[in-house]
Amino acid sequence: MMWAVNTAAGVALLLLLVVRKNYRVYPAFTFYIFVNVAVAASLFIVYRLWGFSSTVSWRIGWATQAVTVCARAWAVIEICRRFLSRYQGIWALARRVLLACAGLVLLYSGVAVRHQWKLALPTVDRALELAIAAVIVVLFLFARYYGLRPERTDRSLALGLCLYSCFRVLNDTISDRYLYDYAKVWNLLGMLAFFASLVLWTWALRKSQRETAAEEKLLPLGVYQSFAPQINLRLQLLNDQVNKIFSSEVTRH
Amino acid sequence: MSLALILFFGSVAVLLLGLGWALWKPWEQKNIDSDPRWLEGRDQRHTNYLPQIRQALAAADYDFLSKRASRGTQRRVRRERLNVALAYLGALRGDFESLLRMARVIAALSPEVDAAHEFERLRLTAEFAWRYQMIRWKLLTGMTPLVQLAGLSDLVSGLSVRLEQAMKELGERAAVAAELASSMNRRGMGTV
Repeated sequence: MMWAVNTAAGVALLLLLVVRKNYRVYPAFTFYIFVNVAVAASLFIVYRLWGFSSTVSWRIGWATQAVTVCARAWAVIEICRRFLSRYQGIWALARRVLLACAGLVLLYSGVAVRHQWKLALPTVDRALELAIAAVIVVLFLFARYYGLRPERTDRSLALGLCLYSCFRVLNDTISDRYLYDYAKVWNLLGMLAFFASLVLWTWALRKSQRETAAEEKLLPLGVYQSFAPQINLRLQLLNDQVNKIFSSEVTRH
Repeated sequence: MSLALILFFGSVAVLLLGLGWALWKPWEQKNIDSDPRWLEGRDQRHTNYLPQIRQALAAADYDFLSKRASRGTQRRVRRERLNVALAYLGALRGDFESLLRMARVIAALSPEVDAAHEFERLRLTAEFAWRYQMIRWKLLTGMTPLVQLAGLSDLVSGLSVRLEQAMKELGERAAVAAELASSMNRRGMGTV
């Protein structure tokens, strides 16, 4: 039942993307939704042919999951670009920070688990999902730190991707512990979480979106190079002042 | 409960907290202002009022009052001194945030930013926020005897000249920065 609802919602979102011509603005996100619908349809056939618990179904299921996660990662990259690419300097810095962040999270996920072959696929899946969630959170923090306001639609898409990835991390972690008993609940909760994300994305994409503005005319490089160290110096001065107050308070006690 | 369970649930909790904070309402207020006048008014430094603050925190005044005034008056003076100290701290914070805003405008409009400068600023911001909150908390909870607050005036007078000079110099650049901010606003930054 939930599977049919999710597929129908996915098809509806895909149609909305086409009708509103938003596929031009979000090609990677459109591809991700298309992959989801295609995966759902192909799994339906696979399960009918080989059954839900067969090894063939299990293999095909995880292979399609790998494709889906890669498509989601591409969609996340697209959202990141839309968030920050107008600000060339910040975008260049953010790219490095986000890549480093994703790498560190993958490393952390690898270190934090028991290494069992039968759990290898959920482990990889969880690591990728955690990396995706971390990248989106850091992206939001970046935007907040620099006082940049991304488009409302971009924010909603990123939020849906992040919450779904967070949910999958939790779901994979529980299934890691209660592998067999949890399988049915794992599927149901996963589908419910995805449905919630689909609703959020559909709401966000109900109107046509404009494409990203062409690259801005930026300041000469020299302006930043001359201002940034001076401002940091002033900040240091203010910090010293507060630091001295703090030190004097500490030493007097 | 297994370690992996704790680590992954903890990670997700941290991520959700970070996400909540990033999406929290005051984001609107922290946006680069649509009105560039905040930069033009930079020469109105809080440090202009340093002599008055110094006077308010002078130990001599307090000694004089403790000999001649009633306990009630002394308590009132103590409370007012605390308010002065808090206001001064708040003013320092205002100066700090104003500089940060300027730095962010410039970084956002630059074709290239230096990671070292950006991380240095992030470190300074975290350090300032921590110290500021510590002092404020100590003042509010009365962990700092008010007589000792007079020590603030020495610090203030010691640094006032340097700070005044620094702010004056930056104030001269404010016109340039204001122009940058308005140019940014024309391009639609900070608008939905």
